[in-house]
Amino acid sequence: MQWSVTRRDVLLAAAAGLVIGSGLLLVPKRYFRTPQQAQSFIGSVADYQQDIAGVISRGIDALGILPAELKGKRVLLKPNLVETALGAPHINTHPLVLRGAIEAFLRLGAASVMVAEGPGHRRDTLAVYEESGLAAVLTEDRIPFHDLNYISGYDLPNAGRQSSMRTLTFPALFKEVDWIVSVAKMKTHHWAGATLSMKNLFGVMPGIYYGWPKNVLHAAGIQNSILDINATLKPHFAIVDGIVGMEGDGPIMGDPKRVGVLVMGRNLPAVDATCCRIMGIDPYKVSYLERADNWLGPVSEAAIEQRGESIPSVRTNFNLIETIPAHKGLRLA
Amino acid sequence: MTSGSLKRMIREELSRRSLPKGGITDLPGQEFRTDATAWGILAFGAAGEDSENLERHRGRLVQEQDKAGRLCIDQQHPDSYWPTALAILAWQSSASSHEAQNRAIRFLIDTTGLHRPRQWFDAAGHDPLLKGWPWIDGTHSWIEPTALNVLSLKATGHAQHERVLEAIRMILDRQLPHGGWNYGSTYVFGKEHLPMPESTGAALAGLAGMVGQEKVARSLAYLQGETDRLRTPISLGWTLLGLAAWELWPSNGLALVERCLANQSRYGMYDTSALCLLLLGALAGEKSNNVDLLTNSGGRPPALGIS
Repeated sequence: MQWSVTRRDVLLAAAAGLVIGSGLLLVPKRYFRTPQQAQSFIGSVADYQQDIAGVISRGIDALGILPAELKGKRVLLKPNLVETALGAPHINTHPLVLRGAIEAFLRLGAASVMVAEGPGHRRDTLAVYEESGLAAVLTEDRIPFHDLNYISGYDLPNAGRQSSMRTLTFPALFKEVDWIVSVAKMKTHHWAGATLSMKNLFGVMPGIYYGWPKNVLHAAGIQNSILDINATLKPHFAIVDGIVGMEGDGPIMGDPKRVGVLVMGRNLPAVDATCCRIMGIDPYKVSYLERADNWLGPVSEAAIEQRGESIPSVRTNFNLIETIPAHKGLRLA
Repeated sequence: MTSGSLKRMIREELSRRSLPKGGITDLPGQEFRTDATAWGILAFGAAGEDSENLERHRGRLVQEQDKAGRLCIDQQHPDSYWPTALAILAWQSSASSHEAQNRAIRFLIDTTGLHRPRQWFDAAGHDPLLKGWPWIDGTHSWIEPTALNVLSLKATGHAQHERVLEAIRMILDRQLPHGGWNYGSTYVFGKEHLPMPESTGAALAGLAGMVGQEKVARSLAYLQGETDRLRTPISLGWTLLGLAAWELWPSNGLALVERCLANQSRYGMYDTSALCLLLLGALAGEKSNNVDLLTNSGGRPPALGIS
C-alpha cells in the first residue's frame, strides 16, 4: 500500500499540532516538573498549657532532624504578630508556642535562639510585642527580640522571578543566623485564601523599604511575592500554631477556631498543604501553593509523608465566606 | 523628670549617636541613617543644641539628597523616599539648607501614590482616588507618610496648597467611624478595622489647624482614652504630639514618658527615630519648647519661589 501526503494533510497536521501545543500551555507548570517528596509532622496539642516543647522536639525527631544538624546553630524564630485586640489572641502566634520552640531548639544544641518580627500594619512593633504577651515570655526566658521593620537591609536577586521585583531586601540580621524558622498561625486570609508558614514571611521584609502595610508586595502581587520571598530566602523549618487558629474573615477579623495541632516540617509548601487539608481547604485552589508545587516543594498529599497524627483524625473545616472572592471554591471535598 | 533634664538627656544621648562629620546613627556605634538624622535634628533643636552642630547634621542631609530632591532611607533604595518630609522639617530655619529644602518641597508637590477611582468590586471602604503620599514610590497613599508630608508643607507655608487640601480630605476619608485611624484602612469586606494610637496621633497632628474639632472629636476621645496604657515610644510619641496639636496634651505626659524610657530595660535601647519621637512628644507639652513644627496649626507665609 502506498501513502501519499498531500498539502491538505500537512496543513491539517500543523493545525492539530497548534491546538495541542496551545492546550499544553494551559496545563499547570507543575505537571511538567520532576515530582518532589517531603515530610510533614502533625502533633496533637489540646491547649497552650501542654508540653509544647515536647511536641516540637518529637516532631523534629520524627522528621529525621538529628541534633548534630542543629548543634551550634543560631536560630531565628519568626512569629506571626499582626495586631492586638482585646479578646482576640487568635490573631497572633501564641507566645507559649514560641517558648516551646525556643526550648526545643536549645535542647537540641542550638547555640542561640532569637525572635524577630516586622508587622505589616502597626508601625509600633514593640506595642504588638508587648500587647500580644510575647514580651512577658521572652523577658522571662531572656531571649532577645528584634524589630525587623527598622533594620537596614541587604539585597539579593529575586530567585523566584514571579513578580517584577528584580531584588528583595532582607534585614542585615539574617546574615548572622543559620536557621530561619517560620512560626506561623493557622488562619484563613481574605486576599490570599490562607495564611500559613509561607505567607508569614511577608513579615521579614523591612517596612522602611516595603511600607506599612507592605504595599510594595501587594503591588507586585501577593501570590507572586509569597513565592519570590520563599524562593529567595529559603527558610529552613516551619511550625504552624493550629492549637487555636482563625476562621472566617482572616487574618485579623475572623473567629477563633480550635484545632488542637502543631504542624511542622522542613518544606514550607508541604507544611502549608498539610495545614490546608486540616482546615478543609484544597491546597491546589490556593494559588501560591498550586504554583509552588514541585518547584518549592510538593503539595500533593501522595508526595507528603505524613508523620504524627493523620490528617483525617484532626481535620476540621474552617469557615469560609462566600462573599470573599479569595475563599470561593477553596473547600476540599 | 523636668523639661530641663529632658533636654539635657536629649543632647547627651544624641551626641553619643552623632558622627564626627555630621549625621546621626540609628543606634550608638552604627551607621548613618537619614531618618535618624532628621528626627535627631528636630530633637536636638528642641533641646537647644548649638546651631553649629545642627548645621553639621543638616549639611549631611543635603549631601544625601538626590537630583530629584528626594531623601531616601539609603541611596541604594531610591523608592524609599519617605524621609523627605522629615528632612524638610529638619532644614527649616536654616539658610544654608534653603535650596535643598525647596527642591524637596517641589519633589513632594509633584509626587503622589498610586490612585484610581473606586470600582464596584472594591472590598476596601476608603476612597482610593483621594491623593496623599505613600511610604514607597509606586504604592498607595497611607496615613503616616501623608501626615508627615502635610506637616512639612504646613511648616513651610504651603498649608493652602491644593496638594495639602486634598491630603486633608484623604486623611479625613480614612478616619474610622468609631474614631481613630490605623495605617489607612477603614472597612474591608464590610468589617470596620481597628484604630492604632500611633496612626491616630500622626493624623491628628497633620489635621491640626486645618479642620474644626467637631470633625475629629471621636478620634481625640479615642486617643485620650488610650494614653495612660501606652508603654512604647512610637505610640506614645505620636499620641503626645497629636494631642498637643489640639491643646490636649495630658497632664501626666512627662510621667508616661519616664515610664516608657525605663522600659528600655525590657525592650532594649530605642532606635534614634523612636527615641526622638518620644522625646519630642514629651517636650510638646510646653509651647516654649519649640516643637511647633510638629504641632503648629500651620499658617506661615509660603517659602520663596514655590507656588
